[in-house]
Amino acid sequence: MLLRCLGAEWVKLRRSRIWLVLLVLPVFSALIGFANYWMNQAILQNGWYSLWTQVSLFYGEFFLPILIAICCSFVCRLEHVNRNWNVILAAPVSTPTIFFAKVVVVGVLLFAVQLFFLVLYICAGFIAGLHAHFSFPPEVFGWIMRGWLASLTIIAFQLWLSTRIQSFAVPVGISVCAVFVGLGLYVSGLGMFFPLSILTIGMGVLSQESLSLGELGTFAVMCVLFVTTGCALGIRHLTRAGL
Amino acid sequence: MNTVIRTENLSKRYGVVYSVQRVNLAVGEGEVYGFLGPNGAGKSTTLKMLLGLVKPSEGSVSVFGKDFSRNRLEILSQTGSLIEAPSYYGHLTGLENMRVMQRLRDVPDKHVEKALQIVRLEKQKNKKVDQYSLGMKQRLGIAMALLHFPKLVILDEPTNGLDPAGIGEIRELIQSLPHEYGMTVLLSSHLLSEIEQVATSIGIIHGGKLLFQGSMEQLQRNSQPHVWMKTQDNEKARRVLQEMELSPSLQDGFLVMEGMGDREVAQTNRALIMAGIDVYRIEEHKKSLESIFLSLTGKEGSL
Ligand SMILES: Nc1ncnc2c1ncn2[C@@H]1O[C@H](COP(=O)(O)OP(=O)(O)OP(=O)(O)O)[C@@H](O)[C@H]1O
Ligand SMILES: [Mg+2]
Repeated sequence: MLLRCLGAEWVKLRRSRIWLVLLVLPVFSALIGFANYWMNQAILQNGWYSLWTQVSLFYGEFFLPILIAICCSFVCRLEHVNRNWNVILAAPVSTPTIFFAKVVVVGVLLFAVQLFFLVLYICAGFIAGLHAHFSFPPEVFGWIMRGWLASLTIIAFQLWLSTRIQSFAVPVGISVCAVFVGLGLYVSGLGMFFPLSILTIGMGVLSQESLSLGELGTFAVMCVLFVTTGCALGIRHLTRAGL
Repeated sequence: MNTVIRTENLSKRYGVVYSVQRVNLAVGEGEVYGFLGPNGAGKSTTLKMLLGLVKPSEGSVSVFGKDFSRNRLEILSQTGSLIEAPSYYGHLTGLENMRVMQRLRDVPDKHVEKALQIVRLEKQKNKKVDQYSLGMKQRLGIAMALLHFPKLVILDEPTNGLDPAGIGEIRELIQSLPHEYGMTVLLSSHLLSEIEQVATSIGIIHGGKLLFQGSMEQLQRNSQPHVWMKTQDNEKARRVLQEMELSPSLQDGFLVMEGMGDREVAQTNRALIMAGIDVYRIEEHKKSLESIFLSLTGKEGSL
C-alpha cells in the first residue's frame, strides 16, 4: 500500500519544479559559506573544520530548514489545490499510509540534498586547496547523516502544519520563526528538545566536538519521538478533517 | 433487487446548523439514482459522507451491505467518485493524472486507455490539464472515477461546465454504465431536466432533508393534477366558486383549481350553469415534473 502511494507521489513530483529549489538552495548556501571562508582565511586556520563551520552555518541554520518547509508545503499544496484530497482520501489506501508516503518522499529528497551538499562541501574544499595541507575530517559523514535524521523530525512537523494550513507561505514563515526559537534553545542548553536545534547539534554546525555516547542516545531517542509525534498529529488531522 | 447504498438517519451538523438531517437513502443495484436538490441543499455533504470524506454527526452508512466505517478500504476499492469540482494535478498531462490514480489503485494499463477512450479524451491525453477547458477537466474527472471499473460510481454534478453536446454525451455514457459494466450510479444535480432522462430512481433533498425518494412515476402520482376551466365570464364565475369555498386562481384566461375529484368538477360545472354562466372548457393538467420539483423545494432555492 505504501508502495502504491509512493508510486503516485513520484508521478506527481517528476514533472514539478521543486527540483530547481532542491538544487539552488544548497548551492547558494555553499557559495555564501565558501565566500565567507575565503575572505576570512586569516582567522579561519583549522582547514576543513573551519570550512565546515562556514558552509554549514548558512545551510544548517537557515537554508536547510527553509528548504524542508518549502518541500513540505509543496507536496501538500499539490493536494490542497483543486480539492485533490477528495480523490486521495477516497482511494483505497489508509490515511496513515498517505501521510507516511509524503514523509518518505520528502525524506528521500532531503537525503539526496544532503549528499549533494556533501559533494559541494568537498568541491569547495578542493577549490580552497585544503586537500594539500589537511586530511579530510571523517566526522563529516556523521554530521551529514545525523543532519538528515534531524531533518526527518522537521519534515514530520512541517507536513503536519502544511496539511493543516492551506497556504504555501505560512508554514514556511513558521519554520523561519522556529529557526530562531531553535537557536535560542540551543544557546540555553536545551537543544535536544526542539527539532531545529537537534539539527544544529546533529550537523555539528556550532560545535564540532564529537557527541558523547549519552548525547548520541538522547539524539536518537528525541529523533524517534519527534518523528512519531509529528506523524501522529498529521494523521490525526487527515483522519478528522472534513476536507 | 439488492441495495447498494443504505443510510440510516444520516446527519451532518456544522455548528448548530444541520446541513444534512436524518437522511435515509436507498440505492438499488444497477440503478441510476438521481440525487436532486437546489444549491446548498446538502448533496455534496451527503455524498462525501458516503465516501468517508466527511464524518457523519449521526447515523450510519452501509455500502454493498457492509458498514462503511468498518469496511472502508474494501468499499472504496469498489467505488469510483467525482465530488464537487473535478480534481486534477494541473502541471501534469491528462495521461499522467490517470497514472497517479493508476498507481494508487493498482490497475492495469489497459484500464487507463479504456477509461480515457470512454470519455473521449484520447486525443488530448498528452496535454497539460492546466490547458484543458472546464469540460475536458470534467471528463478527466469522470475517467478517474471509472478507471478501476468500480461497482459503484458516485458523480457530483458531473455535467457542470459541459456544453449541450457534451451533456448529451455524458448522459448517454451514464445511462450505459449499468448494463454495459454492471455499475450502479449515484448522480447528483440541481436540474431535474438533466436527471429525468437518465434516472431510474430519484431522491429530492432540500435544506438537508430528503423530501422524496422513489421513481419518477411515484413522484408524478404524488402530486394532484390541476383543473383548468374557461367560462363566459371568469370574474363572475370566480365569485360563484368562492361561495362554494373553492379558491380558483386566474391564469391565461382560465380558472385554475387544485385538489378536484370527479364529483367536485361536476358540482362546480352545475353551479356555474345554474348561475347562468356558460362553461366553454374543462381541462385536466398534470403538473410537469419540473414544477413538482419546484413546489417541493421552493422557487427561490435555499441559499
Ligand atoms: N465545512 C463546512 N462548514 C460549514 N458549513 C458547511 C461546510 N460544508 C458545507 N457546509 C454547508 O452545508 C450546506 C450544504 O452544502 P453542500 O455543499 O452539501 O450543498 P450542495 O447541495 O452540494 O450544493 P451545490 O449544488 O451548490 O453544490 C451549505 O449550507 C453549506 O454552507
Ligand atoms: Mg455540491
